[in-house]
Amino acid sequence: MKKLIAVGLLALCAGCSSMGVEPWDRDVLAKAEMQLTTDALEAATDDHIYFSKEASSGGRGFGGGGCGCN
Amino acid sequence: MSKNTNQKSISATLATATCALLGGTIAAPVDAQEEPAWDFNTSLLYYGEDNDRVQDASISMLARRTFYDDRALTMGLTIDALTGATPNGGIKQNTPQTFTRPSGNDVFTTPANTLPLDDTFRDTRVAVNASWQQPLGRLYTFNVGASASKEYDYLHLGANAKISRDFNKRNTTVSAGLAFAADSIDPEGGAPTPLTPMLDVDDLSNRLGEQDKDIVDLVFGVTQVISRNLVVQANYSFSDSSGYLNDPFKIVAVVDGVTGDVIPRTPPSGDVGPSHEYIFESRPDTRTKHSLYGQAKYYMAGKVLDASYRYMTDDWDIDSHTVDLRYRWPINDKHYLEPHLRFYTQTTADFYRVGVVDGDPLPSHATHDYRLGEFDAITAGLKYGWETRNGNEMSVRLEVYQQRGSIPADRLIGNQVGLVQYPDLDAVIFQYSYRFGR
Repeated sequence: MKKLIAVGLLALCAGCSSMGVEPWDRDVLAKAEMQLTTDALEAATDDHIYFSKEASSGGRGFGGGGCGCN
Repeated sequence: MSKNTNQKSISATLATATCALLGGTIAAPVDAQEEPAWDFNTSLLYYGEDNDRVQDASISMLARRTFYDDRALTMGLTIDALTGATPNGGIKQNTPQTFTRPSGNDVFTTPANTLPLDDTFRDTRVAVNASWQQPLGRLYTFNVGASASKEYDYLHLGANAKISRDFNKRNTTVSAGLAFAADSIDPEGGAPTPLTPMLDVDDLSNRLGEQDKDIVDLVFGVTQVISRNLVVQANYSFSDSSGYLNDPFKIVAVVDGVTGDVIPRTPPSGDVGPSHEYIFESRPDTRTKHSLYGQAKYYMAGKVLDASYRYMTDDWDIDSHTVDLRYRWPINDKHYLEPHLRFYTQTTADFYRVGVVDGDPLPSHATHDYRLGEFDAITAGLKYGWETRNGNEMSVRLEVYQQRGSIPADRLIGNQVGLVQYPDLDAVIFQYSYRFGR
């Protein structure tokens, strides 16, 4: 178990040291399909549907209010 | 020659001289700024539930105008037309049941062995929002926004602000946001006093009139670029609601402590009213929610995996888990498919109950709203997107949404076992979107 934690921590640190990219390596990240919210209207529609039908809301952004449906 | 032109000319001469000295050529300046432009995102939506429950036809538009210096104005408009029936909180019985409508001006009857649905659900909702994005210095971005929506009996007014800062060559972004909403509800006949009985037609003596609720939301987030192909986000959000948090249209049956049957009643002679005893639901007047949200986007040779997870917990004893997976799969340069899967599960609110027992002291809170019960939900869908001849984007998506719930056995009494079930839901979502720029 200790070994596993040690390997895990090592992997995490290795990950940290190489985290991020240089500005000239952002070609992929700059693509529209790689944005965290690709389709703002679809995301808003889904948030509204699930807000009306479930007891949870928000998470990605603000979750409160705006509808008499819940 | 003006002073400006003179300066430009001197700069150009100096630049040419420097380049000549270095033996290089003049490179065109890199313009990282977006050109001012309009971006319009429009959509038509149909949402329909089975068994004549809620149907929604909706039209939306989101317009974004970008300016130099990364400033942007976003404006949104949504119009919803809602119809259909929704469970009113009553329970199935072996006999027909008559209910007074929430407006108090009529009755409706549910046949025996049928889930009571209130079919007066009809509304138009108009929602607008606007936000302004403004960089502050080189590393900060500030957003401020406002929202409003109006239904026949509901008004929402909201404001929000968010600030974010980039670190680590813009590989890390830390953000904090605050939103405030002031909503008011004014149902026809007035919002009912919680825990009071459903009365006969035209008796509005237990109505409170218009009621308010306030919601404060806080969101703290970190976005981290991990590699050239992977970006992740983690958010913590806090939400505090206070005021009239009841659904004014939902009731709870008053039941016999042994048989579990709803207690029959006879309206006074000459009056029309409910055939059984029901009370209006009662929720606490505050609710505090905490959410943790994580999202990852991973690019794999043209394909993009978008995975997110949310954990929510609140002081009504509801915990929920949501997993959302999207996979964008290009067919060629201009066409793609995007399968979508979403899994959701929630535990029941501690005051969720099938009925209140006749003769027992009334609990301080009680609801039989299925949305506060225990259920799992699955969404499965497929989106097809393509680029039009003039370079705009279109997409259609079709999804099915399914809720399957259960009522804990210890919350059912006598004849309710086998008769009273969670009102499972099947819905279909169809959306057509068109995105174009100017």
